[in-house]
Amino acid sequence: MAASVREKQTAALKRMLNLNAPLLKNTAAEPVWKVLVYDRFGQDIISPLLSVKELRDMGVTLHLLLHSDRDPIPDVPAIYFVMPSEENIDRICQDLRNQLHETYYLNFISAISRSKLEDIASAALTANATTQITKVFDQYLNFITLEDDMFILCNQTKEMISYHAINKPDIMDTDMETIMDTIVDSLFCFFVTLGAVPIIRCPRGNAAEMVAVKLDKKLRENLRDARNSLFTGDNMGSGQFSFQRPLFVLVDRNLDLATPLHHTWTYQALIHDVLDFHLNRVNIEEASGTEASPAGARPKKKNKKSYDLTAADKFWQKHKGSPFPEVAESVQEELDTYRAQEDEVKRLKSIMGLEGEDEGAISMLSDNTAKLTSAMSSLPELLEKKRLIDLHTNVATAVLDHIKSRKLDVYFEYEEKLMSKSTLDKSLLDIISDPDAGTPEDKMRLFLIFYITAPMPPSEADVEQYKKALLDAGCDLSPLNYIKQWKAFTKMAATPANYGNSGVKPMGLFSRVMNTGSQFVMEGVKNLVLKQHNLPVTRILDNLMEMKSNPETDDYRYFDPKMLRGNDSSIPRNKNPFQEAIVFVVGGGNYIEYQNLVDYTKARQGKRVFYGCSELFNAAQFLKQLSELGQK
Amino acid sequence: MNTRRRHGTRNNEDGVYHGPSLTQPQLLQQADAPLSTSLPLAPPVDLGGASCRDRTTEFQSVLRSLLARQNGIQTSKPALSAVRQRSDFTLMAKRIGRDLSNTFAKLEKLTILAQRKSLFDDKAPEIDELTYIVKQDINSLNKQIAQLQELVRSRSRQNSRHLQTHSNTIVVSLQSKLAAMSNDFRSVLEVRTENLKEQHSRREQFSPAPAHYSPNTSSPLQGNNFNAGNSLLMQDDSKRPGDVSIDMDFRASQQMQLVNEQTSYIQSRADTMQNIETTIVELGSIFQQLAHMVKEQEEVVQRIDAHVEDTQFNVEAAHTEILKYFQSVSANRWLLIKIFLILIIFFIVFVVFLG
Repeated sequence: MAASVREKQTAALKRMLNLNAPLLKNTAAEPVWKVLVYDRFGQDIISPLLSVKELRDMGVTLHLLLHSDRDPIPDVPAIYFVMPSEENIDRICQDLRNQLHETYYLNFISAISRSKLEDIASAALTANATTQITKVFDQYLNFITLEDDMFILCNQTKEMISYHAINKPDIMDTDMETIMDTIVDSLFCFFVTLGAVPIIRCPRGNAAEMVAVKLDKKLRENLRDARNSLFTGDNMGSGQFSFQRPLFVLVDRNLDLATPLHHTWTYQALIHDVLDFHLNRVNIEEASGTEASPAGARPKKKNKKSYDLTAADKFWQKHKGSPFPEVAESVQEELDTYRAQEDEVKRLKSIMGLEGEDEGAISMLSDNTAKLTSAMSSLPELLEKKRLIDLHTNVATAVLDHIKSRKLDVYFEYEEKLMSKSTLDKSLLDIISDPDAGTPEDKMRLFLIFYITAPMPPSEADVEQYKKALLDAGCDLSPLNYIKQWKAFTKMAATPANYGNSGVKPMGLFSRVMNTGSQFVMEGVKNLVLKQHNLPVTRILDNLMEMKSNPETDDYRYFDPKMLRGNDSSIPRNKNPFQEAIVFVVGGGNYIEYQNLVDYTKARQGKRVFYGCSELFNAAQFLKQLSELGQK
Repeated sequence: MNTRRRHGTRNNEDGVYHGPSLTQPQLLQQADAPLSTSLPLAPPVDLGGASCRDRTTEFQSVLRSLLARQNGIQTSKPALSAVRQRSDFTLMAKRIGRDLSNTFAKLEKLTILAQRKSLFDDKAPEIDELTYIVKQDINSLNKQIAQLQELVRSRSRQNSRHLQTHSNTIVVSLQSKLAAMSNDFRSVLEVRTENLKEQHSRREQFSPAPAHYSPNTSSPLQGNNFNAGNSLLMQDDSKRPGDVSIDMDFRASQQMQLVNEQTSYIQSRADTMQNIETTIVELGSIFQQLAHMVKEQEEVVQRIDAHVEDTQFNVEAAHTEILKYFQSVSANRWLLIKIFLILIIFFIVFVVFLG
């Protein structure tokens, strides 16, 4: 898998936009204009990958939602990128009847069934538009890639496959079947896009196992059908020189409930935790000025600003996973370099002004032209750099405000100590009863982590004490009920998740992290340095990839879709350590685990790890789901 | 869902030509290809290394089976002609697009020519001609695009909203392509100027050495000299004390010839340089014009779900405003009622008091 998943998906999308023909490198080709029609699923898939400018470069003049009112646009082909659901098919048939476009290229995000194909065919016949439907494709792109090596399943209907939906006590078999089918369909699309058949390992006895069984069956069926298989022929040959197959590890969220609740300290995870971060887009509300609002009239307008954090943003790529103080310093450095370059350009301008007064010879003019051209060509770069610096300054400031008001550094430090079972210097009760250290949610999270990671459940009296303190702080206690149940369940299983040895060293109580003149005055915020530690998911991956023997993972089931007989022996046939792995968390994941996996990969040369989850939630959303579960 | 494929019997079915598989990259689906003729077949695993599946053939087989079923029931309506009447906007846009791609090809050729740095094989007239042609092309494209924009503006009232956006986007993208091309043209001209300067300096280096030896063999070199006139004359001056008048005549006539050649050559070179400079200036103005037009209609780099959120936000804001208005109106109503009641009460009191 030389190319990342993101590149593969982008290439597939671009090929689709090129009217399903392979892309040529020819810039002298005549432009072909087209219209792109998508539904909400397609919108979620395309928006992190292709910006409007890139769409325009590919010749897309209009991009519209399927279910909006669309006017007829003659003379151009229309590319549809939709899910094959009932309403979408109905709408397509309606479009055919209204003859909105000249030709239609129908691309379905996942495979369309035969009966729906017949529906479209009959609608086309009645509308006399049979010659207009030029191509029908199954794109197998039913997943959203957020980073080079991270993907989530779907965004629109995530309540259907959320942790809550999977774990609620009154779930019906049919519901479970639909959920499993959705997940397996998306995973299948993922493997088709990746072009590799993995070896599947999963723990026993939970949702992950069900998904693994179904996925194995689906892959096996597809491989058996030699003529229609998606994995044979050119697919395998293109650029895949590794003869190893990737390892696919399916884990369930129930394995580790403390990590989603954890307070975090790295940049990307903090943004996800504290701000509204959604499909690589941050929405920040900035309360506008301090005008007194006249009585009874309009409320203060809040400026909502949104920023895109993309792969092209070098600063973001470099510092996604750095601890926050480092990020603040780097922003400051970038600002300084930018100012230096700006001064350079200004100096050039003044020199130009002086020299332009003599009647120079041709050579002098051309020299100046050259300098001017170089300054002009570097100007867009400078402007872009400035925009990025502004973006990160705003985002980091917003995050810093949250940190300061909620004292997130205190929580982080305490939770790290809890999770690594080192000695605590402050009692939990103190923090909970502290009125200005964080919102009630923060306190609840801290307490839940304490409850989860405690080797022995605390005594009833202690629990009562804590409960009283929490209620005073205004927390909602229903998640606690659910966690108690969960703990009872997992007690039977292996030892509770060991979070490894970690340590958090505060570098003294700095009042300022940087020199004066900077905007990031982190007064009273500790400059915490993260030490390397491994979350449970990472440890399991490590064991499986390196074929280490470990009581936790020895019990995992082993599936190989390429083997002739579908036996589910737990004896792995493959004795070599794996080079590539995909970790998928059924029930939801978050950026902390992702960051941990990225760090793990960086430490080992030549290994690639992809992280996927059925949905991405931050701690607040997870807490909400837990409280819903606890109320049942 | 797995359809069985019948291989080998599919060619020339229904009189439709099923050409070679679409894994070959030549077949670009163009919108103006007449669709009624060839509906190409494609094997199931398509497009060499692709991760998608082509269901077109399946779709067509479904169509055929449905058609067969329907034919017994109702008479088939005449199929819509796929080659429709094209609006003149589309025709014009297509023409401009074609011209753009042609000019691009010419520009690429020019780039290759201009980058050659050899001293001897300088295809100056070709380069000049090509430069002239490209300049004319860019000018005419500029005018055509301006015309297209006028056409779009004049139609703006009768076009639907989406059609208007579509037309505007086409115009903008043509303009930006033209801008990119003129940028490339400008850089090619700069490269050419650089190369000319280099050639000049290199010739200056070479020219003193051969002038000392035989004038005959050096004449082809001198013929190519750029600014060699000065150096030659100077060297001849330096040699004069050692020369005899016999040589003098011979050399003088040769020199006259050479000087003539050189002056005409220098002249042509100077012309070229001037040409290039004027072209650069003109290009600069065109470029500015284009940039201005592009800026007018440029959108901020955004993603496709930006508008939805914008509109949602606006709709929410509008909703709150409406709610407030409603509240004020209903508040007003209450006030009115109260005031009315009070008035009635006063009226009654007044009447009773008086009465």
